[in-house]
This record gives sequence, C-alpha cells and structure tokens, in this order.
Amino acid sequence: MLRFIIRRLLLLIPILIGVSIVSFLMVHLIPGDPARILAGQNATPEDVLAIRERFGLDKPLTIQYFMFMKALISGNVKSLRTEKNVMEEILPRFLNTLQLSLVSIIISATMGIFFGIIAGVKRNTWVDNLVMGFSLFGVSMPVFWLGILLMLIFAVKLGWLPAGGKGTWKHIILPAITLGMATSAIIARMTRANILQVFHQDYIRTAYAFGISERKIIYKYVLKNALIPIVTVVGLQFGYLLGGAVLTESVFGWPGVGRLIADSIFTRDYTLIQVGVMFIAVIFVLINLLVDFTYAILDPRIRYGQG
Amino acid sequence: MRKRTWSLVILLVSLSFLLIFAGEAPKYGGKVIYTMGTDAKTLLPPHINDSPSGEVARHIFEGLVEYDEKLNIKPLLAEKWEMSNDGLTYTFYLRKGVKFHDGTDFNAQAVKKTFDFIINGKLRRTNIYKKRIKEVEIVDDYTVRFHLKAPFSDFLNYMASTNADILSPKAIEKYGDDYGEFGKYPVGTGPFVFVEWKPGEKIVLKANENYWGGRPYLDEIEFRVTPEDVTRALQIQSGDAHVTTRVPPVMYNALKKDPRVVIERVPETRVIFLGINTIKKPLDDIRVRRALNYAIDKEKICKVVLQGMAFPLKSPISELLPGHYPVGAYPYDPKKAKELLKEAGFDENHKLKLELATPKGRYLMDYQTALAIQGMLKEVGVEIDVRPMEWGEYINYLFAGRENAKYDIYLLGWSDTLASNVIDRLFSSTNVPPLGENIGFYFNPKVDELIEKISRAIDPKKKDEYLAEVQKIIMADAPWIFLHNVQELILYRKGLKGLIWHSSEFLDLRKAWWDK
Repeated sequence: MLRFIIRRLLLLIPILIGVSIVSFLMVHLIPGDPARILAGQNATPEDVLAIRERFGLDKPLTIQYFMFMKALISGNVKSLRTEKNVMEEILPRFLNTLQLSLVSIIISATMGIFFGIIAGVKRNTWVDNLVMGFSLFGVSMPVFWLGILLMLIFAVKLGWLPAGGKGTWKHIILPAITLGMATSAIIARMTRANILQVFHQDYIRTAYAFGISERKIIYKYVLKNALIPIVTVVGLQFGYLLGGAVLTESVFGWPGVGRLIADSIFTRDYTLIQVGVMFIAVIFVLINLLVDFTYAILDPRIRYGQG
Repeated sequence: MRKRTWSLVILLVSLSFLLIFAGEAPKYGGKVIYTMGTDAKTLLPPHINDSPSGEVARHIFEGLVEYDEKLNIKPLLAEKWEMSNDGLTYTFYLRKGVKFHDGTDFNAQAVKKTFDFIINGKLRRTNIYKKRIKEVEIVDDYTVRFHLKAPFSDFLNYMASTNADILSPKAIEKYGDDYGEFGKYPVGTGPFVFVEWKPGEKIVLKANENYWGGRPYLDEIEFRVTPEDVTRALQIQSGDAHVTTRVPPVMYNALKKDPRVVIERVPETRVIFLGINTIKKPLDDIRVRRALNYAIDKEKICKVVLQGMAFPLKSPISELLPGHYPVGAYPYDPKKAKELLKEAGFDENHKLKLELATPKGRYLMDYQTALAIQGMLKEVGVEIDVRPMEWGEYINYLFAGRENAKYDIYLLGWSDTLASNVIDRLFSSTNVPPLGENIGFYFNPKVDELIEKISRAIDPKKKDEYLAEVQKIIMADAPWIFLHNVQELILYRKGLKGLIWHSSEFLDLRKAWWDK
C-alpha cells in the first residue's frame, strides 16, 4: 500500500513538469501583451517598457520559463497584476472553492444517489420517467439562468436567502444548489444505469430464487455493487468542481479559484495562470488517488501494491 | 412689550425652520455595502492604473488638491497654493493638525518623501511625474515647493490625481520597493481607515474618528466584488448591498418601478469612437474618412442601440471635461457621403470594403454598435466585415506597430480627467503603437505644435484657445468616426443619502449617510 502511495506521489513530478510546460506555452501562445494590458489606458510608452522589463517579459521564452521555474521552486512567484505572491492569492480562493464544492457535492450526491436508486428500483414506471425527465432538465439548464432565477425568487421576492456574496452559511446555499444541479443529474442517471446493470446479474437472480426479501436484495447486494462506479463519478465530478466553477462563481460573486484563473486569463496574468493551473492539476491527481483508496474500502476484492 | 412680541416671532420662525430642516440633517451611523464589478488591484496610489482601485483608495488617501465632481481643482491637504510667474514652481501651503492613520504627522517632509518615492521608484505611474518634476523642496514644516522641468499647464491636475496622494512616511520606510505588500496595507490621511481586504471578495473600511475634517457619517464601508451585472442589481433590490454602478440598461424600467431602490442616469467622461487607420489606403483619403462620418446616424445609435444611455459627440473630447469645445458633429447625410465616396473613386461597381474590429462586452453595447454601423454603411455602398475580438487579443491586434498594422477601423473607448491628455495621447505623432495610443497613425504637424503649446500655456485663457483650435482641426481631419459619450446607471437603496458621482467614474461615499 505504502509503495503504491509513494509511486503515485512520485508520478506527480513528471505530471507537474508537463503541466508547467503546457501551461507556460499556452499562455504565451494566446495573443495579448500583458505589459500593454497591465499598463492600462493612459500609460506612457515608458510605462509599458518599464513593466516589460520589470517582469522579464522582454526576454526570450526559454529564459522566461527558467526564470519562472526558479521562482516556483523558491516559492516566490509573484502575480503580474497585483505583485503579491501567487499562492497568497490562490490559497484563500481555493479554500472558498473547496467549501462551495464540498457543500455542492454533498447536496448533489445525496440527491443524485437517492433519486437514482428510486428510478432504478422503480424502473420503467412513471416515477422513473419523472426522475429521468427532471435529471435531463438538470443537465441542460444553463447555470446563468438557474442562478439568476433562484436569486430572483429566494432573495428578491421572498427575502429568505442573500443574493450572492460570501459571509454566513446562508450565502452558500443558492450557489451550491446551482453548481450541484447538473452534477446531481449526472449522478442520478449513473446510479440508475448501474442498478439496472446489477439487477441483471446472475447472483441477484439467485438471491431472488432463494426467496430473500427485495429490500434486503436491494440494500445488501445491488447497492453495494452498484456504488463502486458511482464513487468514481462523484470523485471525478468533485475534481471538476474544484477546478473552479467559473460560471457559478461569477453569477453569485463567490470569490473562488475558478473565477480568479478566468480573470487572470483576461488580464494575461501569466504567472498566476501557470501556478493556478499547476495547483489544480495537483489537486486533481490527489483526488483521483483518494478515489482509488475508496474502492479498496468499498470492495475488498480490489487491492493495491502487488504489482 | 413690542420687543417681546418680536422675540417670540423670531423664536417661532427659527423653531419652524429647525423642524423643517431637521429631517435633512445628516445622521451618523450605519454601514454601506458598495457592490462593484471588479476587485481593486492595489491600494498603493502611485501604482494604481484602474478605476476600482482608485475608487477605494480615494476614501483612504488624500492629495494636496482634489477634483470636485465637475473636475475643477479644489484644496484638500494644501489650503492654498501659488504658481511662479514663469510657471516653473508651485508652492503649496499645507493644512496643519493632520495625522496619518498610523499616527504620523502630515507635513512638508511627508510630501517630499512621497514624491521622492514616486520619482525614484519603478511604480506604474512613476514616469508621468518623473517627466515633469525636477525637485521637491521643503520651505518649512508646512510649506513645500515643487520645481518643474518645464512650465506645465496641467500640473495641478496631475496633483489632483489619486496617483499623487500623500503616503505615510512610516509606511514608505516599512515597505519600500515591495509594491505588492505596500499595496495591501494602505495608510493615508482620509476619512476612512483600512480594516481588511479579502481578495476577490471585499475590502472593508471604517470611519476615521480623528479625521481633520470631522468624523464621516458612516461607521463602515464595504466594497464587495460581484462580477455579474445582473446579480449586483438583484443585491440592491434584495437589500444585500446598498449601491452599485454599471446596471444593465435593459433592467432600467423594472428597477424604476421598485419602491425599495433609486435608479439614476449619471454622466461619465467616456467617449466611444471608431478609430481609422489613416495611413492605409484608401483611408488616407480625407474624403473617404469624412464620408464615413456623414454616413452614420449617431442619434439613432444612441437612441436605439444604447437605449438613451449615450449622446452624440460634438468634439473628440467629452463635453464633461473642462476644455471641451463644441465643434459640432458631422450631420447624418448619406447623400453627401455617397458623393464624397464617388469623388474618391467608389460606387456601386467599385465598392469600398473595410474591416471593423471591435471588442465584445468591454463597452456598453460595443458589438451591437458595430453591427448597427455595418448596416448604416451598407446604405451608402460600403461593405463592412465586423470582427469581434476578446480584449487581450484585440489590444494585441491594435498595438502591432506601424509595419504590422492590418486594421482598417476599430471601436474604442477613452475616459479621462484631462482634455489636453486626450489630445496628446490619441493624436500626437509621437505616441504611435506599439507603445503609444495614437493607433490610427494620425499625423498633423499643426496638432503636434498645439499640443506642445497647450502643455506650456501658463495663461488658462490661452490654453482654452489652443484647445478649441486643436479640436476644430481634428474634427475636420476626421481621423475617427465620432460616435458618442456614454452614460452610466447607478442604483442604490432608498434612504441612502449624500452620494456624490464624479464623471471620472468615481462613486464618492465619503459624505454618504443613512436617513432611516
């Protein structure tokens, strides 16, 4: 097991180098001169030159890459826009995203699995059709539309919940629901499909033949086996959510990392984009690792570390 | 007896006056949440080059002089000032008894220290001051003299900018060249004191109990970041925030009906124009450029596309800026446009084809304006290919430099506090891309000469004359298709009083108060 963890963690190094090169090339390949954008309107030509020089933007690409890596290793990469340490910008924003994603994944996993089970058990009935109909609606609803609609109802008309912003626990409800809507729909569909698949297995038929009660069959045999692939989906979805829910964060003014990176792309804040993308890559890899361990807990047949 | 009656009358009259105006007297207390679209970048004044940072900083910092809401100069930390006859020195007499938020005294030493820091630094606004100021001299504790390199008629305007706000000498010593850290912990002399900044979320300020001008009415101001325009408006309706700007014009009518809020149309100095690449054929022909101006119905664009949120330009300079001279726009005259195009060799068989580059979503209805113009130019036989671009890419496209300039016409906006600056930045032959902002490569020696004269004019009357002349020449040369001056919508909760809107896109909450 330990060997497995170490191997997976060591794998992070080549992944990170790869990500750093790709993100570096990406930001330099998109057209746009950060010095010009940073200098803002009303800047004199001298101002633009001074910014270029200050951040080494006038140097060849390879030199810029090594300058960046050097700063990265010493932990002193500064945002071009604010000149603060990038981690100081990314970390608090990431924690906000983590908070939102956690609440959102709890809501969407609970709802998704619950409705998925109902639809799966009551397959091909009107209940199933209703749940699947709703989930289609959930997947296809634009975040912008849903978010603004929820705010109009719950904040402006009813006054129960705040319209965007961050502060108390009340602030997280609407964005978490908005963000979780599509995810819960995906999880519901996935759960239903898995349950149907397991229902067709021989051992379930055998269980029925033995006269075991349906309730026991569903909870003890169907669900346990159907849940494993769902853990993957939930884990992956969580990873995506952490990567930043740019739209939800923008609509609700939630100060998350997705919005931060998106804004940095518009302002060509090269260093922040690069470190931000690398950071998210690390998180994504770590979550995948966590998902793999969850398998082992859920299914004793899965073991790591032999190979 | 008679005397007594009179006294009684006077007493009654004054009492009733008191009663009438009692409701109008500002009240102390309360908090205002101003929800804005973008977070500040830095709160180090000479490093600021964006309006959100400027808006926050102006509540914390103060300069020697400041702009009023009509962009006239008035005293602030300097009680008065005088200029020498040759225009080379300015002497400021400073206010006494002012302290920075960290307890340091404000005096001539602080002023000198601030400007030495700016001029010797590598701040984003170092150059504009370095170019003009030779030396700052301390005459005595409360008198300071600026020696300029050459006479400069806009010097006081430069001093009124947030960039020239006075910094605490203690803070300068503490942070020095670490502009990132310095920008996080602002210390000024203003009516509000910095409390905390959660990036991307909010900046909180509290009342300065020891403010030299008396404690402000509000206890606290929170600048909250909410990027989405619609959400910001909803926040005001729901009471989660109290004031905002950049409200989408489509919401105007619905908000007008909501009794909880007040919506107001306010002026701003931003002009929107179509720049023309004047060195590219056939746009180097003045007849073509004038024809394009005649072919566009500016009134209609303002009314239909911008829904009344703009008015046509009468000069390259916004009419809200001191120094604007109403030269008069090109009237909408498609017949004349066709004649001019024909003279230049274009007609039905030989059509003029141009590309119109535009940002999308940067300015109010920018892309929609470009599409309307495409339609109008089609009427006079000009074929336009509208090319929308993301802002960063657009900037790159426009600042490619003379050899690589591929654009024909491009939509841009410009906001300023200074008429002379508009002319210098956008029309001087020395300010061309890749570094300057005269993107259309407009060259006129007469204009260059006037720019120099305006800069050195000590007599304000002469300066206005030069400004008028230069505006006339530019209008006649038509290096732009002159479009419109945009307006702004501000939305706030009923009961919030004393808001001051400055047309330079600054919402001033320093004297705001709650009537509830």
